[in-house]
Amino acid sequence: MIRWRWWGLATMLCASMAFADEKGFTLRAVEVKAKPFLDAAAVGKVPEKTAITVTERQGGWAKIKVGATAGWVRLLAVRLGNPDPAKNDSAFLATLGVGKQRSAAGSTAATGVRGFSEEDLTAAKPDPEQLARMDGFAVTGATAAGFAAAGKLSAQTIPYVTGDGKAEKGGK
Amino acid sequence: MDRHPNRKRIAGWVLAATASIGLLAACNPKQIDAFVKSSGGVDGLTSNLKGAFGSVDQPKEIEMGRGVAETLLGARPLHDDPALQRYVNEVGAWVASRSERADLPWRFGVNDSDHVNAFAAPGGIIIVTRGMLRLLENEAELAGVLGHEVGHVVRKHHLNAMKKGAWTNLLGAGASAATAGKGGGALVDALVGPTKELYSRGLDKDDEYEADRVGVVLATRAGYDPYGLAGALQTLGKIKGDDPYLALLTKTHPNPGQRLDRLGEAMGENFTRFEAQPRNEARFAAAVKALRTAKLD
Repeated sequence: MIRWRWWGLATMLCASMAFADEKGFTLRAVEVKAKPFLDAAAVGKVPEKTAITVTERQGGWAKIKVGATAGWVRLLAVRLGNPDPAKNDSAFLATLGVGKQRSAAGSTAATGVRGFSEEDLTAAKPDPEQLARMDGFAVTGATAAGFAAAGKLSAQTIPYVTGDGKAEKGGK
Repeated sequence: MDRHPNRKRIAGWVLAATASIGLLAACNPKQIDAFVKSSGGVDGLTSNLKGAFGSVDQPKEIEMGRGVAETLLGARPLHDDPALQRYVNEVGAWVASRSERADLPWRFGVNDSDHVNAFAAPGGIIIVTRGMLRLLENEAELAGVLGHEVGHVVRKHHLNAMKKGAWTNLLGAGASAATAGKGGGALVDALVGPTKELYSRGLDKDDEYEADRVGVVLATRAGYDPYGLAGALQTLGKIKGDDPYLALLTKTHPNPGQRLDRLGEAMGENFTRFEAQPRNEARFAAAVKALRTAKLD
């Protein structure tokens, strides 16, 4: 029982970390819904390019707050960050909830970071032993299917889509 | 003992392809040199080889991908967490099994880089950084990211890019090695060059947009919430454009906002009926727990 209680607490902590308030903006005029469903009741409208706060994300929906209006809009109708990506002020480390003091101090890269930069790639020497290690972690199709079942994932049928949202020819 | 058993096999097919042009019977350095000259120098040889590699069959594609992966893993080794490696293979193998190339020997690995990125090598080898895993919020997002990489493999983006341009490097290095009298092993070492060049430069933008669409479809077919990749791109989109942790990703991909714009048009309401599918937050949180709690300098 105690283990489950801790598990629940850990899950809640993770959830609250994931759903910390995030700044964003609307791409277009959006109808705000009471619930994250297309046929849910509308509770208001927000014009395009309005600064918003995203308080929660759930699949294809984002819960937003603008002034007195709060509710759900389509995730792809909003963007996190700044309308001009060059003006984004959030650092990777701050996004993870660490290194805030560091970025406030104006330092961009922490020391001791294990990078995968262009320089690291340029200096790379082939490492067949690491590839052999990777081979050792491979799973069979049966294992993957069992993993999917344990996660309540059911295979679906949907064709590939083209850039303008049509079914690709020859798709299954 | 040969530390590079794979190289011999790659050497085998490089030379086999060369021989298949029908101009080369044996491969001693002098003959290679003569062959290069008779083929109109390196340029002529390259165009001949492009013809020879016009249709790379699956075994050759797999061998080539393993060569590419050795260099990618040479840049940064695997992260030391067997349970996490296994978990990422389970998610990845399930997603890849929903594609028309389910029969490839799919391999998924987490490297120990704190930078945010993911890579696909021909033949089904996918590497994701632990920095990327730190940024993701649930298994549906991971499925979307791995689906994007699987999409590169399914559509043979890297293979085609290497055929198009980087073979020039391979041949250039191979021919000069031959002139210097180093022989066939150096030809295999030359596969390292095109890998570094391609993975530093990145693919065409259209390949990235296509991989996004394939990734979303594969994650959806695998039974996940279709908006996982979009969620991950939203998180990426709020980070500073010049953040050093994202430098290579930023250089080699359209920006997250552009990718979300394209994804929005492609997804439309086609995926709405699948959006109640699982995200498996708890299983993901358990798998990345050690990563999340580890101190990051």
